[in-house]
Amino acid sequence: MNRENKRRKYDKKYFRAHPCTDSFICKNCGWPVVSAGAGSSHRNHCPNCLYSIHLDKVPGDRSSECHGRMEPIGVWVRKNREWAVIHRCKACGKISSNRAAADDNPMKLMALAMRPFGSPAVPQENIRSLTISMEEISKI
Amino acid sequence: MKEKCNGWVCPNCGRTVWTDHCPDCLSGIHMEDEEGIECGGVMEPVGVWVKTDGKWEIIQRCQLCGEMSTTKMSSDDNYMKIWSIASKPLASPPFPIEKTEELTRIMGGSGSIKWRKTE
Repeated sequence: MNRENKRRKYDKKYFRAHPCTDSFICKNCGWPVVSAGAGSSHRNHCPNCLYSIHLDKVPGDRSSECHGRMEPIGVWVRKNREWAVIHRCKACGKISSNRAAADDNPMKLMALAMRPFGSPAVPQENIRSLTISMEEISKI
Repeated sequence: MKEKCNGWVCPNCGRTVWTDHCPDCLSGIHMEDEEGIECGGVMEPVGVWVKTDGKWEIIQRCQLCGEMSTTKMSSDDNYMKIWSIASKPLASPPFPIEKTEELTRIMGGSGSIKWRKTE
């Protein structure tokens, strides 16, 4: 008798030891995503547009009621020099980070890393005056 | 993060601060998490995010519980530290940057690199 389905339904700690292997269609770009090929058994975001869906409170538990689209807003480097994508939920604003998968679109990842450099939030004039003030030699 | 207007000492660099994050090292204190449970870990700056209106926000991550949050960049923040955090991913790419276009084509992804030509 196969009790796996019963365990999946009634065991509340099932998700901690068993990764979800469902395939899905990306709600943002329509890319068909399968769980294989991510480099790990936990597929979190669409490899083409890097969007995710806000499903979890604790990784894997599927208990969040938000179900909003999570937009990639940046990347950061972990201690082991591995990249992780930072997601922000468009509906509730929750921020979470997730490991970049092996088959993520390299172009989109680089675009995320380059994004701060294209905005004029820190004007060039400020940086120039900063470097000038740093290069000043005080004469005694 | 709201009741810190009477000054606190930055646990990372020891400076007395009146805003919600230290302007020198950009770290803060994680007062309480989403459910309202006290945490008290040090929030280290992890990344920079550009909002749709062009303003920057600093993404912080709690060293104790791992929760992420954002704070607004103020005008007296250390620009060099912000640039250093923003350029960290570029300095250690997981794949060769010069092969980005080729890799994307092999994987069947979308997007292309177009440099604007100057006259």
